[in-house]
Amino acid sequence: MTEIVLDRVGKRFPDGTVAVRHVELTIQDGEFFILVGPSGCGKSTLLQMIVGLEAPTSGEIRMDGKRVNEVDPKDRNMAMVFQSYALYPHMSVRENLAFPLSVAGVNRTEIRSRVRRAAAVLELEDLLDRRPASLSGGQRQRVAMGRALVREPAAFLLDEPLSNLDARLRVQMRAEIARLQKRLGTTTVYVTHDQAEAMTLGDRAAVLRNGMVQQVGTPRELYETPANLFVAGFIGSPGMNFLPARVDGETLVLPMMKVPLPKVLRDSVAGHGRALIAGIRPEHLREAATSNAKHAAAAFRTRVELIEWLGAETYVHFVIDDEEAAARLRDLSELLEVQPGARGAVPMVTRVGPASEAKEDGEIELTLEPDHVHLFDPVSGKRLTPESAAFASTPSMPR
Amino acid sequence: MSARGGPMEKAFWGAGSLIVVVYALLPVGWIVSLSLKPEADLGDGRLIPAHVTLAHYRAIFHDAHFPAALRNSLGIASLSTLLAVTLAAFAAYAIVRLRFPGRRLILAAALSVAMFPPIAIIGPLFNLWRLTGLYNTWAGLMLPYMTFTLPLAIWTLSAFFRDIPWELDKAARVDGATPFQAFYRVIAPLAAPGIFASAVLVFIFAWNDFLFALSLTSTDRARTVPAAIAFFTGASQFQLPTGSIAAASVVVTVPIVVLVLIFQGRIVAGLTAGAVKG
Repeated sequence: MTEIVLDRVGKRFPDGTVAVRHVELTIQDGEFFILVGPSGCGKSTLLQMIVGLEAPTSGEIRMDGKRVNEVDPKDRNMAMVFQSYALYPHMSVRENLAFPLSVAGVNRTEIRSRVRRAAAVLELEDLLDRRPASLSGGQRQRVAMGRALVREPAAFLLDEPLSNLDARLRVQMRAEIARLQKRLGTTTVYVTHDQAEAMTLGDRAAVLRNGMVQQVGTPRELYETPANLFVAGFIGSPGMNFLPARVDGETLVLPMMKVPLPKVLRDSVAGHGRALIAGIRPEHLREAATSNAKHAAAAFRTRVELIEWLGAETYVHFVIDDEEAAARLRDLSELLEVQPGARGAVPMVTRVGPASEAKEDGEIELTLEPDHVHLFDPVSGKRLTPESAAFASTPSMPR
Repeated sequence: MSARGGPMEKAFWGAGSLIVVVYALLPVGWIVSLSLKPEADLGDGRLIPAHVTLAHYRAIFHDAHFPAALRNSLGIASLSTLLAVTLAAFAAYAIVRLRFPGRRLILAAALSVAMFPPIAIIGPLFNLWRLTGLYNTWAGLMLPYMTFTLPLAIWTLSAFFRDIPWELDKAARVDGATPFQAFYRVIAPLAAPGIFASAVLVFIFAWNDFLFALSLTSTDRARTVPAAIAFFTGASQFQLPTGSIAAASVVVTVPIVVLVLIFQGRIVAGLTAGAVKG
């Protein structure tokens, strides 16, 4: 039973760098909570403060209502898996697993049975007498997990535990970690820069940037109602397409087309000026041939630049040649933390079905569903679309 | 360096190594030879003794002073090593892992102590030791030995500690270890090659020292072997104790050789392999 509360937590390093500012989070008991963000966003520092390796310079960290700012890491009863695994190279796997118990003064028979149990859960029985140096990456990762769970800790903290594994093993371990967490029901905080891990693993996730929480929510909330341009661009792969947009009465003017503005959107953008940023998820640009006829009005043709065929789906890349639009987006590239496209063109991507007949250098007709357009304030980056708009008709969300 | 080249290259490296080894070992061989020659043959100029005798060895161990000096040497060198390495390990760990003002100053100051010529302080030290009662005691020799070897040990060990991933300390702390437990159960074992290397260096310094031993001792109570050898006398005032000096020199070399042979196996690199991804 562990609830972790971060109350206005901040961290300023002695050299003046502010790594974390004013973070307010409640991680509920038994929850699988993800801290996600680009490198340097403060997520690892936040984790180190939760485990006690770094002390917050402001605010309070509470476990089950008790302030733990001053509690030594060894007394917090939390277990951590490091990105590098941090296995003790001079000890066998068995000794590595037993280490947390032996420093805690657990008696030998108890240690032996708990090590055996943890080894069984993680299928490490055959490796117990090996040294970490002779293990593969995946095996080391499992030993690190095992060392965390022998203690039956109050919380698991994982710092990018999968980033050193190859892609295939990563997907496999991801599922394994999720299964393990469900089974144990231990509060887990998981740090990653990979939005796919955040989406698949977490009950909830906090998106961080520059030491500040941008949005906290379930993966679905983050995907469907991103709070600002940064979250919108960070969550989802391929990323959301951004276009400068203009509201003209009841229509939304995009560089390549005009679409009728749904009523909900009309109300929410009132008083926000006319210049906006529109965000469109790749799956909401559909190939005209396969989409419903009722949206046929909002269709446009474009030349296909590049096709990425993935078997179950195909990404179609194209550009919108519009000097002014490209220039306006370029100004936002810092806010979005994305690379601006080539001068004078806005890069776009859409996700189409495997049956698509799109060809490189060929033409494609795409339709846009206005209900699914996200609108953002170009200055603050904040979302303007009300949440109900995005939920009006929920498409099957790709995970 | 590719020593696996052609036969010419092999011959070159082989001959080079041979020259170095002969150059280094010839004086040692000569001393061993002298120590085994009977008194009458000492001046015969032969490397291989015509007659072999252990008389000189028997003589020095029956001498009243030499066994005491050997005891002093062993005790003082071992204790200095133990203390210096322990202190240096703590100091180096703190310097590497903790942020505190004056970190660099400590390293620089340590280095400057090592550069100080011992001869410059021997006079004041002599007076100081007589005043404080440290003159002619074990502690009186251990103190300067530690002073002069600590800097080297701190530098060596901090290089080793710096190479140990910090995440290992952190992992140990999260696993429930106190800072001291993290140090002696995780970090110190990993720095073992560095600890052995600096221990050997400190021991050799203390064992070989002549200057302090000669100046700061006066009797068998604390006099070490190098100083004791200097006080060897022959059977009569007209005789040089060459054979005894040679035998004592061999005896005093043995512990160092044994020490290095034991520890060279422990001074292996790559012990940290596998701690982190790599």
